[in-house]
Amino acid sequence: MALTRRQFLKWAGVTGIGAVVFNGCRVPDHEIQVQSPVEMPEDLVTGRDNYYATTAQIGAASEGLLVRVMEGRAKKIEGNPDHPVNTGKHGIRAEALLQALYHPDRIKHPLLRIAKGGPYRRIDWAEGIQRLTAIISDRPSSEVLLATPLLRGRVADVVQAFADGSGIRLQGFDALGCESVTREALRQLYGQNAQPDFDIAHASYILNFGADFLGTWINPTHFSRGYGEFRQGDGRSRGRLVHIGARYSTTAAAADHWVYATPGSEGLLAMSIAYTMIDEGTADSDAASALTGGAGARALQAFAPERVAAQVGVDAHVITELAHELADKKHRPALVMGGGPAAAQVNGLFNMMAVYALNALVGSVNRPGGLVFNPEPISGRVSSSSLREWKQTLADMRSGDITAVLVREADLAYGLPGALDARAALRSVDTIVSFSSFLDETSELADLILPCHTPLEEWGTDEPNPGPGYTTIGFQQPAVNRFHNTPGYGTLSFGDVLLQTGSQLGLPDMPWENMREAVRALAQDLHAQGRGSVVQPTFAEFWKRTLERGGWWDTGATADGSRPDLPALPTSAPADSSADPNRYPLHLVPFEGIGVGAGQYSHLPWAQSAPDPITSAAWDTWVELNPHTADEMGLKNNDVVIVESATGRTIRASVYINPATPPAVAAVPMGQGHRAFTSYAARRGANVLDILEPAEDAETGAFAWGATRVRISGTTRTKVVPKLEGIEPARQLHGEELIFVHKA
Amino acid sequence: MSNSLIKIAVPVIGLVAALVLAFVAYFFVLAWWSQPPAVLGFGDGPTQPIAFPHTVHVTTAGLDCQFCHRIASTEEAAGVPAVAQCQFCHDFTRITGEESDSPTAETEIAKLIGDPLEGPDPINWVRVHRLPDHVQFVHAPHIQQGFSCSTCHGDIASMEVVEQVRNLKMRDCVDCHRDNEAPTDCTTCHY
Repeated sequence: MALTRRQFLKWAGVTGIGAVVFNGCRVPDHEIQVQSPVEMPEDLVTGRDNYYATTAQIGAASEGLLVRVMEGRAKKIEGNPDHPVNTGKHGIRAEALLQALYHPDRIKHPLLRIAKGGPYRRIDWAEGIQRLTAIISDRPSSEVLLATPLLRGRVADVVQAFADGSGIRLQGFDALGCESVTREALRQLYGQNAQPDFDIAHASYILNFGADFLGTWINPTHFSRGYGEFRQGDGRSRGRLVHIGARYSTTAAAADHWVYATPGSEGLLAMSIAYTMIDEGTADSDAASALTGGAGARALQAFAPERVAAQVGVDAHVITELAHELADKKHRPALVMGGGPAAAQVNGLFNMMAVYALNALVGSVNRPGGLVFNPEPISGRVSSSSLREWKQTLADMRSGDITAVLVREADLAYGLPGALDARAALRSVDTIVSFSSFLDETSELADLILPCHTPLEEWGTDEPNPGPGYTTIGFQQPAVNRFHNTPGYGTLSFGDVLLQTGSQLGLPDMPWENMREAVRALAQDLHAQGRGSVVQPTFAEFWKRTLERGGWWDTGATADGSRPDLPALPTSAPADSSADPNRYPLHLVPFEGIGVGAGQYSHLPWAQSAPDPITSAAWDTWVELNPHTADEMGLKNNDVVIVESATGRTIRASVYINPATPPAVAAVPMGQGHRAFTSYAARRGANVLDILEPAEDAETGAFAWGATRVRISGTTRTKVVPKLEGIEPARQLHGEELIFVHKA
Repeated sequence: MSNSLIKIAVPVIGLVAALVLAFVAYFFVLAWWSQPPAVLGFGDGPTQPIAFPHTVHVTTAGLDCQFCHRIASTEEAAGVPAVAQCQFCHDFTRITGEESDSPTAETEIAKLIGDPLEGPDPINWVRVHRLPDHVQFVHAPHIQQGFSCSTCHGDIASMEVVEQVRNLKMRDCVDCHRDNEAPTDCTTCHY
C-alpha cells in the first residue's frame, strides 16, 4: 500500500499524541510504591502529636499556652485560646521557651566549685540538697538571702513558706522594678493591692503616659488583644489613642497622636490636664472635689498649662487640647494609663498618682472601658524589692551581715546599676548558691549550682497580674519529661528543691511532698468550691478537665468594688534631682528589647533575633539619635560612640539616626552586654543598665531607671547595626505627614 | 476472492469485531464499577522486588499479621516492616533459605543482606491495595472493632503472590458500613 506524505504525517501525529496521552494515564511510581526503610525505630512510626495546655510566667506577663509534643519532645508553642488573658495569642518570649528547654549551654547537673574561683565538679542531687541544707543550717537565718524573680502562684507559696519557716530573707528582683511604682499609685488612689486591668478593648479613648503597652510593658500580648478590639472591634467605632512619651516606641508609632514630653514631667502634664478639666467644670465633680481636698481647681493652680508648658516641653494650647479631648463626652469610656519610663523617675510616684487620678475625673474607675479592679489573688506573690532595699542588701553583703546568697534567676551582677558594683558585693559573701539552668553573671560567682527546670518541665500555677477582672488561675503542667534526666543528676523543679530542703530542715507549713502535690492541693480547694469554669462531681474528673483546659477561672469572682475615698493630690511637684543638663545634655531613654527584655531572655536566639519594631535592629546595642543632634556632633549612622552618664561609667554602641527620635533624647535598648549567660548572650553589645544612675523614686525607693542624663562623644570606629531596614529601598508614603514631633 | 467467501467472511469478521468491542466495553465497565476480569494477567498480583511468600510466614511459621504490620491496630496505615526487622527474624531463626524446598528462597532472602559494606537498600514494595487520593481509610478503627484483616484483603495466608480480592469501591465500603451500623457520613472517608 502506498503511503503518501500527508498520511505519514497524520499517523505520526496520532501516534505521538497517543503516546503522550496514554503515558499521562500511568500511575506515577511513587503512588504505587510502599517503602520498607532499612532502619525504623519502633517508637518513631506513629507520628502522632499531642497538645498539652500549660501556663508560663514570663516576667510580669502570664500566658496560657498549648505545647505541641511529638514523641515526648516539645515542638511548638501556641497561645491557649481558652485562657482569658491571652485568648489564643502568645508573645515571642513564650515562643522561645522551647529554646530554653533544648539550650545547648544549659547546665545539665548540679555543680560544686572545688575551691574559691576554681573549676566545678559534678555532684548528684542528694549531695547538692545536703550541702544546701548545711549552708542554711550552719549560720543564723538572718545571714541568708534568697533572691528570686517575681513569683506568683503555687511556687510563690512554696518560696514564701520556705522563707517564713527558715527565717531567711526573701527578696524579689526585677531589673526594672516591674511597675512597683504604678502598683503603689493604684494602691494609694484606689486601695487596690491586685493591679487593676486596663480594659483597652472597650475604651473609646486612651491617653497613655510612657507605657509601651503594645511592645514590652507588663503583658503586651494581653493588651494587644484589647487594642485589636479597640481599633477594629465589631459593632464599634475606631478608638483614639494618644501617647505621651520620650521615645518613638511601638505604642507611639501606633498612636493617632504622639506627644513628646520631657522625661520626668509626665506627672506635671497629667496634673495640668486635671487642672484644666476641673477648672472648666468638665471633670467628675465628686472626684474633682476629693482630689483637690475640696478646694477645686485653685488647689492645682501651680499646674496651669501656661505655667508648666516650658518644663513639660509641650505648648500650653496642646495641653488644653488634650484636656478637651479627654473631657469630650464623645470619648467615653476613656482610659488613662501610664508606666514604664514615666514611672521610673525620681518623682515616679507623683507622676503615676497624677496619671491614674485622671481616670477618676473621667469616671473610668472600675467601669468597662476603664480601670477594672481585680480580686485579691488566691496564691501568694513574691514582689520586686525596691532599689533602696537592694542597696541595703548589698551593704549587708559587704559588712558581713549576709554571708550566704541563694539566687534563682535573679541576675544581680548584671541587672543592678554598675555604680552599685553588685559583683563585688556578691564576691564578699561566703557562699552563693544558684538555682539557675544557665550560667549567668551571678551564677558564675556561685559555689554551688543546683540547676532547675525550665517552665515546660514543671508543675505550678500562675495568677496573672493584672488578671482579666476576675479570678484566673493558669495551671502549669509538664509538657515533657525533664530533658536532662540522668538518674540522680539532671535538673529538678525549683519548688521541689525547696520542698526537699525544707523537709531536711524540718520546716513547718510545707506539707507537700512535691510541686505536683502542692498544685493538686490547690485544685482540691477549687473543686470543693463547685464554681468557675470547671465544675465536676469527682476530683479526678475536675483535675483532668482543669489540666486539659489550661486552668480554672471564675467570671463571677470579681473585685468587690469598694474603694477608699480618693486622696488629695499634691499641690506642688517634687524636685527633679537628675544630673547637670549642661554637662549631660541628653535624656537617656533605656527601653526593653522586644525579645530580650532587660536581659533576662538574651540567652534565647529567637528572642535575640526578634527585630526591634521601630529600627528593625537585633542582636546588638545601638543609640537612637535625632538627625539634628547627630549633625551637631558630626555623627553618622553606624559610628561607634561613647555614652557616658554622671556615674562616670560608659558604654560603646553604634549610632542609629531616626528622625522620630526627639532632639534631647538618646534611646538605647536594654538586654545586651552580658559577660556570660550562654554563647548567644555573652560579649554582644553593651549593657545600658551598667551606666544608669542608681537613682530612686523619692517615695517608694523604686529604681528610677528613666532618670539618667548622658553625654555622647564620638570615636574613630564604625560598626554596622545589624538590621533589616534598608534591604528594600525606602519609598515616600503619600498623604498626610505621619509623625508629629512637638518641640522639645 | 469469490463472492460467496466474501458473503461468509464479512458477517464473521463483523461478528468477531462486535464481540471484541463488546468484550472491551465489558472490560472497561467491569473495571470501572468493580475489578477488571482476571484475564491477560489483570487479576494477578504485581511482581514484588522480593518474592515474599505470605504462605510460608503466615501458614507455616504461624505469624500473626500484626507481627509485621505492627501499627494496623493503632494507626492509619498498617505499616510495612523495616528491613532491619526482617533481618532480625532471619538472623534469630537462622533461616537463610538453604533449608527450603523453594529454589528461589536463598536468593530472595539474600536480598535482605545487600552490599556487605553498605548494607541493604530500602525495599520499594509495589502497592497492591490502592484507594483514590480523596478517600481516607484508617486501619485502626476497623481492627479495633474486631474485623479480621482477611475481611478486606482475602485469605492472604494462602497467597504466594498477594492480589486484590475485593473491589474496594465506594459501594463496597458503604454496604459494609451499613451492614455493621458504622457511620456513612461523607466525611467519614472524605475529609
